[in-house]
Amino acid sequence: MVDVNSKVMSAKEAINKFVHDGEALVIGNYTVGSCAELVYEVIRQGRKGLTLYSQSGIFDVETIVGAGCVDRLVTTYCLRAGGRKGGSAVERGLNAGTLEIEDYTNFQYNARLMAGMHGFSYIQVLEGAMVTDLFHKRSFMGEDKFRVIKCPYTGKDHLTVPAANPDVCIVHVQRCDKFGNAQYWGALGSVAAAALASKRIVVSCEEIVEHDVIQSSPHLTLIPAYRVDAVVEVPWGANPTEVLGYYNMDQFMYGLFMMADGTADGLKAWMDEWVFGCENRAAYIDHYIQKFGSKVLDGIRAKAFYSAPANYGSAFTSRWDRDGKERNMGMTLPEFEQTLKERGKLYE
Amino acid sequence: MSKPYTLQELLVIAVAKEIHDHENVILGVGLPTTAGAVAKALYAPHATLMMESGIIDFEPLLPLNHIADAHSCRGFSYATDLFSAFTMTYRGFVDVCFLGVGQVDKHGNLNTTAIGDYYKPTMRLPGSGGAADFISYAKRTVLTMLGGSFVNKLDYFTSPGYLDGGDSRDKSGLFPKGTGPTMLLSTKGLFRFDPVTKEMYLAQIHPRVTVEDVKKDVPWDLKIASDLSETPRPTDEEIDFIRCFAPAMSAGRELSMELTIVNMMKMLKA
Repeated sequence: MVDVNSKVMSAKEAINKFVHDGEALVIGNYTVGSCAELVYEVIRQGRKGLTLYSQSGIFDVETIVGAGCVDRLVTTYCLRAGGRKGGSAVERGLNAGTLEIEDYTNFQYNARLMAGMHGFSYIQVLEGAMVTDLFHKRSFMGEDKFRVIKCPYTGKDHLTVPAANPDVCIVHVQRCDKFGNAQYWGALGSVAAAALASKRIVVSCEEIVEHDVIQSSPHLTLIPAYRVDAVVEVPWGANPTEVLGYYNMDQFMYGLFMMADGTADGLKAWMDEWVFGCENRAAYIDHYIQKFGSKVLDGIRAKAFYSAPANYGSAFTSRWDRDGKERNMGMTLPEFEQTLKERGKLYE
Repeated sequence: MSKPYTLQELLVIAVAKEIHDHENVILGVGLPTTAGAVAKALYAPHATLMMESGIIDFEPLLPLNHIADAHSCRGFSYATDLFSAFTMTYRGFVDVCFLGVGQVDKHGNLNTTAIGDYYKPTMRLPGSGGAADFISYAKRTVLTMLGGSFVNKLDYFTSPGYLDGGDSRDKSGLFPKGTGPTMLLSTKGLFRFDPVTKEMYLAQIHPRVTVEDVKKDVPWDLKIASDLSETPRPTDEEIDFIRCFAPAMSAGRELSMELTIVNMMKMLKA
């Protein structure tokens, strides 16, 4: 018998079970609410040789690249700390030859995951990019970064990208039930495509909620339970980024990170304290409050602005009306069974 | 005469005036979002403001931290995904978009990816993000250049402007006719594109700046509009709006960062 609670586990357990060396890993979040705790756990467990897919790299890509977990990066946007004078782990990796990068536009990157999600082998993207170096300059994808085909209907040249089906997606959402129905709202970005294109899915959430909550708001479910491998409950799981309805961006912690990220030594010292120095998110929050007090975190807790409830109700929920009669045939269950018998429908 | 203003306030207003009422607008982070908020509040109440992350028709209450910032507004009208935000652009539903500039050439082609060699960059810039696709299919594109540079040849060609100039963009058959960059704003002046040659020229110059100051940054023989004017100063209403909505924008990046770091240090000590 399947244990219905088997998907609920710690970040440590989930990453240990579902993220392996040498795999293609996609960070499912886009710019907002990144799965910080899952990323840090990948780093703490010292994964190597990853091909990382990131729609828009922020502290998440910087830390995982800075820690040496990633050989290849597929992305559209990289963070840079400290402007022109500063730097980034991605830039340092490229120059040291320890990191290869494949640049796409936001749409092209997302389209690769959309194709993967829907089971297509490739997808049309917007042809304007054919004149740019995004098309001409290629890295580890080589010929397969883009291919141009003739549209069989119009005869026009179409730019295409291959589908992406990463081995595993790590993603943070607002709430999830123990079965893995993951609800996310706000900037939808590429969250669904990144998760559903992937072979395995590890979800972290601010809170695990009852299944009833999910059933009354299925329009918020971006990832269905049957696709999810692990559910990890991690309050503050996206800090220093923000989670709509839970907390804002933590400008203070992000500021500390940005001041550190410009140099390899700075980033290492920051990670020694905030990634390696805290065994899990609870320890991270404890350390944060011990060091700086709770003022910052208290100040960024979201105030409520609830979505108007959508009415999923219907006129009745049983074929039998309040008099016990079937709504169309107008008879009670004993009358109905009597009829089945009289008409010779029942097998003795 | 309106009250004293900062250069950033003047820049925000110059950008805000590119947004017209009833238009669909894709906003980038930084100056354009503040400009979008000004436009929506003061000149273009029916504009539909959009972000590529799928936040469509929002009214910003705070300056955006990034293009997926639903915390900067109180709800919004349409939640879609990134894929649909770009396909709607491809289909011609976006009137104007705003892009930042790392390097720009005389025909408005952009580099936001890398300075130096792409594979071993002297400086790795953010990348395309949405830029290459937006400038391809939005009806108009406004370029904001606060730190970038004018070059004869881009180190990396991220986003297509008017290609080789003249009718080369239209002739390529890859872009809807008539699309492309319509304006570039720098900290020294406001540039537009010649309708025939598609070469960038100086159309307005900011106060305290000379034409020579502008030419110093441009490696080609920059043409100057015969009716060159000074960028108009913001009105009191505009200044008040910006200072209230985005005080850090009024101060500019350097000063606001400095003040923020000083304040952070105080917090660290306390």
